[in-house]
Amino acid sequence: MPAKSAAKKAAKPAKPAKPAKAKPNGHGAKPARRGKAPDVELADPVLFDPLTPGEVADALRTLIEDRRLAAMAKVGRYRVICTEPLVVKPPHWMAGHRLARVVAYDYSHDRAVDACVDLDAGVVAHLELERSQPMLSREEEAIATSIAMVDPRVRERLSLGESAQATMHYWGRTASDLAFARRSAAVLFGQTGGHPSLVAVVDLLDQVVTQVVPAEQW
Amino acid sequence: MSNVIDEAGWKFHWRLTESAGIMIYLADYKGRRVMWEGSLPYVTIDHQRQTLDVEHEVESHGPWWIPLGTRTLDGPVRVQSFRGGVELSASFQAGPYHYTQLWRFHDDGRMCPWLTIFGPGVHDQHTYHPHFRFDFDLDGARDDAFEHFENGRWQRVETEGWFPYSGEADDHGNVWRQVDFGSRASINVRPHSWDDAEVFAIRYHDGEWPPFSPRSAAGSQPFPAAYVGNEPLDGEDVTLWYVAHVHFDQSFPYTAGPWLRVEGLA
Repeated sequence: MPAKSAAKKAAKPAKPAKPAKAKPNGHGAKPARRGKAPDVELADPVLFDPLTPGEVADALRTLIEDRRLAAMAKVGRYRVICTEPLVVKPPHWMAGHRLARVVAYDYSHDRAVDACVDLDAGVVAHLELERSQPMLSREEEAIATSIAMVDPRVRERLSLGESAQATMHYWGRTASDLAFARRSAAVLFGQTGGHPSLVAVVDLLDQVVTQVVPAEQW
Repeated sequence: MSNVIDEAGWKFHWRLTESAGIMIYLADYKGRRVMWEGSLPYVTIDHQRQTLDVEHEVESHGPWWIPLGTRTLDGPVRVQSFRGGVELSASFQAGPYHYTQLWRFHDDGRMCPWLTIFGPGVHDQHTYHPHFRFDFDLDGARDDAFEHFENGRWQRVETEGWFPYSGEADDHGNVWRQVDFGSRASINVRPHSWDDAEVFAIRYHDGEWPPFSPRSAAGSQPFPAAYVGNEPLDGEDVTLWYVAHVHFDQSFPYTAGPWLRVEGLA
């Protein structure tokens, strides 16, 4: 980086080339707005603070009581991945509200749940049910490790002193790979502090090891 | 330790996330809002075969990643002053992967969201893809434009898209910038010349919050490419993703990430 003091010269915006086209999905091109929108500078930093245990519990209760998730709650085969604070900008109607973003994975329907819970209003303000794969929860990482540890194909290939080093969040590149569409993890085995020697891919839906690969061939 | 830092002309807040490293939020420079939030949502890792033979595809396995956050944190988050600025740093470790995330703030308006990558990996033939996400609110959330330096000048970008570094940059090495119409201030993005970097410019939407995974639906583009549509950027609230591609080699450790510089914010 050039060791210069900050340039004070204001940037001259380049000219736009041509008008934007409308988006096929209905989000049409809108005229550019000039002038200030309601000010983000007034945002309350407290809204970004980590959720308290009570707020986390409140968010989860509100979510699983939502009728749209009745089937998920009834079957009870879901994992909460994480619950974190979410802050939206003005002029959104939820700006200034205490919000929790809850991400879960519903094993009974093989789908992700991504929700925004308005803790001030006690409602699920935004809910997406989709086929994406959110990260694994800590419990899922631990389950993947334990499944791999007891698999005979893994055990017979491990040397003395080798154990699970890390559980990676993995997905397959091609449709022929089971992990392409299914919730999966890759458990790395090796000596503590050394190179991994073995990779075991675990399918979390069926809770089985689907691949055992020497690390150098990964 | 307070999560508010007021030093070197900057005032910002920080917190450790579950998966996106240290998140900086509500960052002001010289009393003016610069950034709503910035984070490192994930670092994916691709592997290539150590040896090639005709019977195997070059890349048969997919990518993987591990959240950088509370579950992989190795030691405390550190806040340290240095000559002309202040920095936060945190180390993360997962098996053979080791990272140090840095946020450095200089009194001349520079901001450095960086990631030092080290550790041996599974084997030598692998590539890291750190994904940085910046939601700049330069003097307000809207009224912004995104520009890309190409063909010898700054060009306004009309719609969302993917903008790789082609090797062309302005006199200061900047390749992308977000400009505020009202103040004419800008955030300039200068890539590390070895990052093989690219930027995704995306209009901010409810629901298009930082993803908790790079992985969208099977067979679909991963994030942030999955967010790219054809929506106009001009005058809107824009989110930028800076993605580096770093192949492991013997010269590791390597520090990826851009230089960001605030200019014209009087």
